[in-house]
Amino acid sequence: MSRFWRQALGVAKRDLLVEGRAGEGIGIVLPFGALAIFVVPLATSGSASLLADLAAPVYWLVTLLFGMQLALRQTATETVPQRRLLVLLGLDPVARFVGRTLSASLLLLGLQLVLIPLVILFYEPEPVPAPVRILPALVLYSVGLAMLGTLAGDLTVGLRTRTALAPMLAAPLAVPLVMGASQSLISVSQGDGILTWTLLLVATDLALAVAGVVTARPLEETAT
Amino acid sequence: MTKRILPVLAGLALVAGLFVALSSPPDVLQGDFVRILYIHVANAWLAFLAFGVTAAASIGWLVTRRAGYDRVAASSAEIGVLFTAVTLFTGMIWGKPIWGTFWDWGDARMASTALMFFVYLGYLALRRATPDRVARARRSAILGVIAVVQVPLVYFSVVLWRTLHQGLTIRPDSVQMEPEMLTALLVNVGAFSVLYLALLVARVRLARLEEAMEVHEEAPAGSAVTAPRLETGP
Repeated sequence: MSRFWRQALGVAKRDLLVEGRAGEGIGIVLPFGALAIFVVPLATSGSASLLADLAAPVYWLVTLLFGMQLALRQTATETVPQRRLLVLLGLDPVARFVGRTLSASLLLLGLQLVLIPLVILFYEPEPVPAPVRILPALVLYSVGLAMLGTLAGDLTVGLRTRTALAPMLAAPLAVPLVMGASQSLISVSQGDGILTWTLLLVATDLALAVAGVVTARPLEETAT
Repeated sequence: MTKRILPVLAGLALVAGLFVALSSPPDVLQGDFVRILYIHVANAWLAFLAFGVTAAASIGWLVTRRAGYDRVAASSAEIGVLFTAVTLFTGMIWGKPIWGTFWDWGDARMASTALMFFVYLGYLALRRATPDRVARARRSAILGVIAVVQVPLVYFSVVLWRTLHQGLTIRPDSVQMEPEMLTALLVNVGAFSVLYLALLVARVRLARLEEAMEVHEEAPAGSAVTAPRLETGP
């Protein structure tokens, strides 16, 4: 394995280890997202057809907002001295971006997979798409959102308004991802093809990957 | 000199633009509502130009680290946000009588323009939130380069997604517009271009003054007072 991938996997492993110990995503963000899914029906008339119509929009809204929280979690943010140390140790900033994206993607995919049964349980949408057929869209969505979260997190590192500013920067740019993933889900539910929407997700992910790689070094200067 | 001439030129150009917009013929289907086009389209094009200038100046800053590029990038983004807001607003008041709605969620051009607006609001928010000058320039330069991807997406959205908005009216190979209307549109594009230039020059000058004030405020207390010289030189 090359030095680059060793570094990237090392960053991902460290992030997941810290997450496992702190439980910020699993213990706080995930239950908070589940609570949001539970609260929405209480603000409606409770009509079964209305809830079925709301299922997909609520799901995507919750995964976007709480996904951003997950990607920007405090436990995945280094302080300035920690960043300086990583630079001195020779950590490739691109490897850091890739590693952080990997760990955030896994957590985001986990968030989505936990929220789907909750939405089905509380909103009873019809028809329910086969999980295997929507998995590629969910994976591409998670990777894209993770890259966007990593970029927004690095752009706002050290700022007092980071918690509000980073999602504000990322959310409008996440729209192609939400569109691609949500339309894939609809197409699968209706038995249509998902090639166009998969291509949109792949193109967005590629654009974000290029942005992440190109800006990794200037962003490293920002944080140090 | 430029700071006095440009606003006057912009005022005169806007009056000329208003005159040709009001004297151009009404549309067969839209009647007088078509006149909104001259402001709406001109503002949209100028918004694209403004964000393009932001991206170019951002690249300039990343390559040379000269503060002037940062001032141009930020000033142009502010003006671009203003033009985008006018584009959205005029589009909405045009849409109501023609399409029967202020906003259509299925329309790709409307949605993508609104997204572009929010992306650049984020750009401005990022600048406001970063107190250090160099960090502010670096962060916003990176975002300025990433955000410009929205511009071609908005422009070609009518080609990529066939929705409520009409396709491209003016293309290199054909122009689907009456000559008098095209003239009125081009005069208004020219007028708003001069306005953009006047606003940009004024805003860059203001940014320079703001920076000078920041430097002045950052200076430690008493730094302007020099110690008395007790000895004279040989």
